Amino acid sequence: MAGLLTGLANATVNASTVLILAGLGELISERAGVLNLGVEGIMLVGALSGFVTAFVTGSYWLGFGVAILAGGLISLLHAFLCISLNSDQAVSGIMLTLLGTGLTTYFGNSWSGKSISGFPERTLPLIGDYLVEIPVIGSALFQSTVTDYAALALVPIVWCFLYRTNVGLELVSVGEDPETADTMGVDVFKMRYLAVVLGGMFAGAAGAHLSLAFNEIWSASMTAGRGWIAVALVIFARWRPERILLGAYLFGLFNALQLYSQGIDLTLGAGVPLAGLVNPVLSFVSNPTIMSTYPYIVTLLVLVVTVLRAENRELAQPSALVQSYSRELD
Amino acid sequence: MKLDVELTPREQVPRWMGYGTPVFTILAALAVSAVALLALGVSPLAAYRLMFVQTLTTSFGMTETIAKAVPLIFVGLAVYLPLKAQLWNIGAEGQLFLGAIAGSWIGVNVSLPGYALLPLMFLAGGVAGAVWIAVPAWLRAKLGINEIITTLLFVFIAAEIKNYLVRGPMQAPGANFPQTAQLPVAARLPELPVIGFPAGIVLAIAFVAVIHVVLNYTRLGFEITFIGANDEAAEHAGMSKLKIYTVVLLSGGAIAGIAGVSEIAGVQGRLRAQFAPGYGFTAIPIALLGRNGAVQVMLAACFFAVLFVGGSSIQTLLSVPAAIVDIIQALVILFLITAEFFKQYRIDLSLGERPDPGATGSVEGDL
Repeated sequence: MAGLLTGLANATVNASTVLILAGLGELISERAGVLNLGVEGIMLVGALSGFVTAFVTGSYWLGFGVAILAGGLISLLHAFLCISLNSDQAVSGIMLTLLGTGLTTYFGNSWSGKSISGFPERTLPLIGDYLVEIPVIGSALFQSTVTDYAALALVPIVWCFLYRTNVGLELVSVGEDPETADTMGVDVFKMRYLAVVLGGMFAGAAGAHLSLAFNEIWSASMTAGRGWIAVALVIFARWRPERILLGAYLFGLFNALQLYSQGIDLTLGAGVPLAGLVNPVLSFVSNPTIMSTYPYIVTLLVLVVTVLRAENRELAQPSALVQSYSRELD
Repeated sequence: MKLDVELTPREQVPRWMGYGTPVFTILAALAVSAVALLALGVSPLAAYRLMFVQTLTTSFGMTETIAKAVPLIFVGLAVYLPLKAQLWNIGAEGQLFLGAIAGSWIGVNVSLPGYALLPLMFLAGGVAGAVWIAVPAWLRAKLGINEIITTLLFVFIAAEIKNYLVRGPMQAPGANFPQTAQLPVAARLPELPVIGFPAGIVLAIAFVAVIHVVLNYTRLGFEITFIGANDEAAEHAGMSKLKIYTVVLLSGGAIAGIAGVSEIAGVQGRLRAQFAPGYGFTAIPIALLGRNGAVQVMLAACFFAVLFVGGSSIQTLLSVPAAIVDIIQALVILFLITAEFFKQYRIDLSLGERPDPGATGSVEGDL
């Protein structure tokens, strides 16, 4: 049992890092009022550019840096379209996902099948050796790659940035009420550009984590829908960075359960009352394929429950999300 | 020297822009994609000749194109119709999956002659697609929850349900492949006599005609476009947003479901786990290219059909990854939304100082 729990904890934490990184990035962008449905594409660009750089130079650190830059650069396109040209954010985001998927599949063709040795798993200095000994969660949390630690550290950093710094508060204000923010002297355009590019850098890092630490290979569409889960995660977290961590672990747990559910017999014995009725339901809900819908279903439930319970039927979402802003013309 | 960029909102879009934009957009996308072809050492001229001329001048290419065009016309309409009311059905792919599931279930399990079985399959597919968009439609119409995210989330749920069914309840008995049994002949769309095109094209054209007539010549169509243009004014005029939103979204879902049936009954012959055509996302550039009318949607769908067929032939003959088609699709969207901006604003560039043009509106920002 302890072995099983340790395995689950490991798989959960492993699956959550990429969601934390991509989710925080999407959160920053949406907090400034710009929905970015291009995360999946940006992550792929990050994964391939990071992998190729690491392969050619032999340095995974350089690869990681290049991936972050590439993520920022390609999201600049989204920023330009949505902020400067007032384009439809959903359409521009879908475009970015198509572009990222297309470009990386096209140019990554000759790189698939190659592998690198990426970020090694390390324990923390000084106390690390003791922390690893904690039962169940010790090795999951404290025997990790630098990118895992970085993702965890970024949660409080992003929280402080958004709620405790001037730039962060300006960024949030731009997503809530751009007109007022503008009147108060906040440069709406600059803030939104900053948020989208920063969000893109996070997504690039998430992609690089996949190809440089999680898998250490490149394969086409290796993000496998994690970018979309990150978009769902932000809604699940109701646009709060600390809940991103919670949600990432929950979604990571769903992912881990898919790996382990086949090894566990969930069915009730023949003697238990109603076993005939309950067992088909149990085997349906514990089917690995059905489990991969859980993040989306949970997100939809959160969405509906929040709206139904909120007094004025308003979500906690940034008020100006998906709205473009232009001075004087409105 | 100072470069001045002056933006003036246009009061009227010049006529040439309305018609010229789709053409210009496609040419620009092809021109930029040529760089990707050159990067792999492939001559863009040879590749495009293979993609377009070869596809459109051989009977094999034409038949393939029509076969691909059928589901694309349907999904294009499935996005276009809600877009008329300013709603985005980003999840047509999910409704398409549900249609494909319902259609192939009926096709495999119900034994009826073709003239009864095929309509039943299309009906079931349409209902399944409508059911799949019902929750997002209700959330949008009743609670005002943005339909973009909800329709999108339902895509991923639909994909997994399909994967589950073809590995479980709907898997062909006695086989290990994740797929349903082959559809019987009665459940396959026949070919048209003489020309040999897939019969689905007739149904697709009929849908284009119906939607064209409804949008342009009926009260319902008037209400849809009115709400799309100005929902507040429409509500003051006594129109029901709830009704129109429900109607366009449910019809959109139904049409996307029908797209799924047409692809299964016309092309695939069975539902497979790998079935993930991405048509629901291609529907977005199709609806954008054709946003001036249902007939334009059909033309745009045909263009993408040529692109898909041509893409797979350059993959086989020139070893160019078919992902080039994704790149071209993305660039078409990119140039289209850029062109939207130029349709809305007149842009004047001037070097150096210039007399103040007086009080006209301008957009400020990073350009």
